[in-house]
Amino acid sequence: MSSIDLTLKIWRQPNSDSLGSLETYTLNGVNTDMSFLEMLDVLNENLTKEGKDPVAFDHDCREGICGMCGAVVNGVAHGPEKEVTLCQLHMRHFSTGDVLVIEPFRSRAYPIKKDLLVDRSALDRIIQSGGYVSVNTGGTPDGNSLPISSQQAELAMDAAACIGCGACVASCPNGAAMLFTSAKISQLALLPQGQVERKQRALAMVAQMDKEGFGNCTNAKECEAVCPKGISIRNIARLNREYVKAVLSEG
Amino acid sequence: MWFVRFISSSIGKKIVMATTGLLLVLFLFTHAAGNATIFMSSEVFQDYANELHSHPLIVLVFSFSLLLIFLAHIVAGLYLFFENREESKSRYVVTTRVVENSFASRTMPYTGLFILLFLLVHIMGFTFSPEDVLISVTVKELLGNFFYSFFYIAAFIALFIHLSHGFWSMLQTFGVNHPRYNVFISRLTILIPLFFLLIFGGVALYFMTGLGANY
Amino acid sequence: MELNSRIPSGPLEKKWDNHRFSNKLVNPANRRKYSAIVVGTGLAGASASATLAEQGYQVKTFCIQDSPRRAHSIAAQGGINAAKNYQNDGDSVFRLFYDTIKGGDFRAREANVYRLAQVSTEIIDQCVAQGVPFAREYGGTLANRSFGGAQVSRTFYARGQTGQQLLLGAYGALSRQIHAGRVTMYNRREMMDVVVVNGRARGITTRNIITGELESHAADVVILATGGYGNVYFLSTNAMASNVTAAWRAHKKGAGFANPSFVQIHPTCIPVHGNYQSKLTLMSESLRNDGRVWVPKKKGDTRPPAQIPEDERDYYLENKYPSFGNLVPRDVASRNAKEQCDLGKGVGATKLAVYLDFADAIKRDGEETIFRKYGNLFQMYEKITDSNPMKEPMMIYPAVHYTMGGLWVDYDLMTTIPGLFAIGECNFSDHGANRLGASALMQGLADGYFVIATSIAHYLGSNPLDNVSEADQAFVDSRKEVEDRIAKILKNSASGPAAKYTVDEIHKELGKLMWDNCGMARNREGLEKALDELPGIRKKFWDSVYIPGSTKEINQSLERAGRLADFLEFAEIMIRDALSREESCGCHLREESQTEEHEAKRDDEKYSHVSVWEYKGEDSEPELHKEELTFENVTPSQRSYK
Ligand SMILES: Cc1cc2nc3c(=O)[nH]c(=O)nc-3n(C[C@H](O)[C@H](O)[C@H](O)COP(=O)(O)OP(=O)(O)OC[C@H]3O[C@@H](n4cnc5c(N)ncnc54)[C@H](O)[C@@H]3O)c2cc1C
Ligand code: HEM
Ligand code: HEM
Ligand code: SF4
Ligand code: F3S
Ligand code: FES
Repeated sequence: MSSIDLTLKIWRQPNSDSLGSLETYTLNGVNTDMSFLEMLDVLNENLTKEGKDPVAFDHDCREGICGMCGAVVNGVAHGPEKEVTLCQLHMRHFSTGDVLVIEPFRSRAYPIKKDLLVDRSALDRIIQSGGYVSVNTGGTPDGNSLPISSQQAELAMDAAACIGCGACVASCPNGAAMLFTSAKISQLALLPQGQVERKQRALAMVAQMDKEGFGNCTNAKECEAVCPKGISIRNIARLNREYVKAVLSEG
Repeated sequence: MWFVRFISSSIGKKIVMATTGLLLVLFLFTHAAGNATIFMSSEVFQDYANELHSHPLIVLVFSFSLLLIFLAHIVAGLYLFFENREESKSRYVVTTRVVENSFASRTMPYTGLFILLFLLVHIMGFTFSPEDVLISVTVKELLGNFFYSFFYIAAFIALFIHLSHGFWSMLQTFGVNHPRYNVFISRLTILIPLFFLLIFGGVALYFMTGLGANY
Repeated sequence: MELNSRIPSGPLEKKWDNHRFSNKLVNPANRRKYSAIVVGTGLAGASASATLAEQGYQVKTFCIQDSPRRAHSIAAQGGINAAKNYQNDGDSVFRLFYDTIKGGDFRAREANVYRLAQVSTEIIDQCVAQGVPFAREYGGTLANRSFGGAQVSRTFYARGQTGQQLLLGAYGALSRQIHAGRVTMYNRREMMDVVVVNGRARGITTRNIITGELESHAADVVILATGGYGNVYFLSTNAMASNVTAAWRAHKKGAGFANPSFVQIHPTCIPVHGNYQSKLTLMSESLRNDGRVWVPKKKGDTRPPAQIPEDERDYYLENKYPSFGNLVPRDVASRNAKEQCDLGKGVGATKLAVYLDFADAIKRDGEETIFRKYGNLFQMYEKITDSNPMKEPMMIYPAVHYTMGGLWVDYDLMTTIPGLFAIGECNFSDHGANRLGASALMQGLADGYFVIATSIAHYLGSNPLDNVSEADQAFVDSRKEVEDRIAKILKNSASGPAAKYTVDEIHKELGKLMWDNCGMARNREGLEKALDELPGIRKKFWDSVYIPGSTKEINQSLERAGRLADFLEFAEIMIRDALSREESCGCHLREESQTEEHEAKRDDEKYSHVSVWEYKGEDSEPELHKEELTFENVTPSQRSYK
């Protein structure tokens, strides 16, 4: 166990209407076993004790599954480690003297609410437009009446693992939500349950995605590189296919 | 109308890029094949050109379609470029690209525009070359000029870069992405642009270095 | 306080059917005239919201997070039980019922648990139909595993992300209803109070976390699905926002609180490594299938594990419980780990950990097999601790995980306030004094998809309701009450932070008090001491907590302070409940009640009941009521894992 000294430059913005700026803080004696959010907790305790406003940031599960946390650290969404969320990033990956610039996830579709806390409800609206199988509760057939090959289930699970953190949007140079949208569309397109609404789903979700003001994908692959759950852009390819097929027959 | 909706959707625009991109690649294959005849002899090349021009209708339709394809590719590309620029403008104080070798993808619009510039010069020089001069002679004269050739080679390098992302990107847009073929695709994404660079660049060098002086 | 559990008559297997048949219904055309409030979007809340909206009710749904998909249920790893008997290994509804009742150490109602086992099979069908990517066999059928020491394979799973996938299924169903306009979703709202009009729950008061505004919402019924209160210990495996606030406010308005001291401590968590730590991470129980638990025989042995020879290691679980070995139930494993550490044999920097060693399993099955089984978990462990379990033994320690206690509800899941229902972890209903692995997800979804709609229809069908509106006095009063409370929390802060405490400092103090005295093993002395010390911590909070900022903005310190204020009040009934239960049962060892072999001793004579606490006002002691438990279909037996 060792400790390090850091300089933090954190985006501070009191609310959506005000202008923000980077504020510099020094934080010494950061235990390297801490998670990134615990490091921010320590900073916030210090700020509180000085009578200053602590940094607002979203978080909940702190084990990399709820998708609530996230910030851009030195230009990389969820920080420099591969396939981890901010809450699972540990301070042992930094060293004394490092300057960390911490900014909120940004996109036209993500209004900043305060400091690092942004509004990602646009992602919810994409799901609302069709990211589900329309079955009511009750009266469903026996679970085993629909055999699904293990490989197919695993492939669907690969896509279903998306935690909706929105880092893909934040890191995409165009602010595209393709990886997020494609993950849900892929999951359901790969499973027999998703077939009935397959085309409608692709049309509706892409229309909603465009309406929310997300950018266009130019296959920059940044999303895949920062995605904490390793969602592959293969899903984006699948979405393109799904969408074209849907447009040509039902659009 | 479904088509308008399609074209104006984010994925629709991409499909336009990819389709026109594919057609352009196909054109380049034929063009490269035609130009490769230069290496055989000026006669073969001239015969090829003459043969082409003996079917004016085909040439007209072909040229016209090609123009449309280029226009569509350029318009859609620039549209995407400007639409996306609104997003990326001064977004983060620090921006880091995680993807290695992202140079090509980042510079698509710029390499594209450079190719456009090349095309303007190229077409002014060749398609609108004086009717009475043999095309093989025009080629030799123009490319014999060091700076002209140099500019050409620069453009071919731009093309190489453009396609070293573009070819893979086109397939991804069409939905072709499967772990079993991805290695093959990534090889093709280097080999095809390299092929163009060698053929076109070879022609330019051939004249530039004076090897084709007796052409 | 009257505790009528309204258990339907008839034989056990017929109760649920009889009940559904005798219940009143609401005609489909009339349902849109009724409205329901659902607080919480975990498995219970999301599934209930979707189901009620599908049936035609107008639903308003609330959650603290920025999206309903982030509720704490998302973190459940292991799986969900169902009596499908797909593996043909002797499972049945009755066996699941029996295992659950027995697992809960005979402190749950037979009728409720039987219903849970009955609807468990429908849950799987429902989730499969929604496209939940459960693990499959090569032939395409659903895969199962045995979980938490169960003798049959009845646990369905989706990698180590079962909770996530089930929740996303329910979230999808909820999203569909939001799109259809039948559910109005309120994100980033914290429920601060229940509004009771003429003795019936008719609405809630919420705080908008973004603007700080207090809002009133009226409806015909209110359903709480607000999860568990494990965070009273500060450190737990629960998500950071998990709280007791909603349940506690309901309690203060008249809802009985049942078995508050029943808390499950999970044996395999990553140990605490420093006082900056904000939460604990669970490592799936399945690890105990192949890992061997041990500590050095010598106290204070600081040699690295590899240098401790075989004969100087104490495989205490295997030695003490030869037939179950490392697979003893959670409470036994947890208690023994604590015991070893209390004896000074703990390992690691804090000495609060034991080894979970895979070396033998790797030797036996090969690296590849073990990595295939546990690779995900090993990687997660390595991310957090920077040590590779393939090379060095893991270190684990017990941590607070689940709360069996909760709002008292009858068979219809209604609390003692008419019109106020509680579902999921926030009620007390089905797990008795201990919950079996993979049963919480089952209960949340059973309540939300299959039980609550019947109850609501019956309630609405049999009670004429007055019209109420958000402008009514009861709503105004409730808002005022909440406003005053917030003002009181903020009152110390005007004079700056000097000589004050932060919210977390006080919360950690409360947590330590509870962990030390009201954790896995309890005794009268400790509990009384805790009861003595609690008012001091409470006073510290009210007199000298410092909270920067105001209430009219995003103020995360204020949010936490509000939750802590409720934990501080709630802790009292937890301790009192533990004090009053002078038996060891389920998760807890009451040190005064042990067998000669130092095993937990239950006392059915005196304690075969649910303890239900009634709030009697700020300055009065809460009153204990008892719901006697009767067992007609099973015979309570003492647990033995020897
Ligand atoms: C790490 C971990 C692993 C687990 N693994 C398993 C497992 O494998 N199998 C199993 O069966 N169980 C497991 N459990 C237990 C299980 O996950 C929970 O018991 C269950 O998910 C609880 O669901 P719920 O719907 O009742 O509440 P939660 O999912 O906790 O949801 C609570 C909801 O209420 C909202 N809320 C709370 N308070 C308020 C308020 N005041 N105002 C407004 N909204 C509020 C929250 O925003 C949230 O939406 C696990 C638990 C943990 C901690
Ligand atoms: C050294 C390499 C090249 C040579 C020698 C060459 C030669 C020519 C010639 C001789 C013509 C005239 C054909 C005619 O009208 O008879 C022509 C036309 C054309 N070339 Fe090239 N070219 C080269 C590279 C390229 C490249 C790299 C591109 C594209 C990026 C390109 C695009 C075109 C186009 C668009 C036309 C017009 C076609 C038409 O009018 O139908 N050329 N080229
Ligand atoms: C004439 C000027 C050109 C311009 C301005 C231009 C511009 C662009 C731009 C901006 C893109 C990126 C779009 C994206 O990433 O989604 C692109 C992609 C592409 N370009 Fe060009 N380009 C030009 C010429 C060419 C030529 C000559 C070829 C062919 C050989 C070509 C082939 C492609 C291909 C295959 C793609 C990938 C399509 C996709 O991503 O789906 N381009 N072009
Ligand atoms: S695709 Fe990856 S980065 Fe995007 S929301 Fe899902 S988990 Fe986050
Ligand atoms: S980074 Fe953006 S451009 Fe496409 S491949 Fe990913 S969405
Ligand atoms: S806090 Fe849940 S993913 Fe980070």
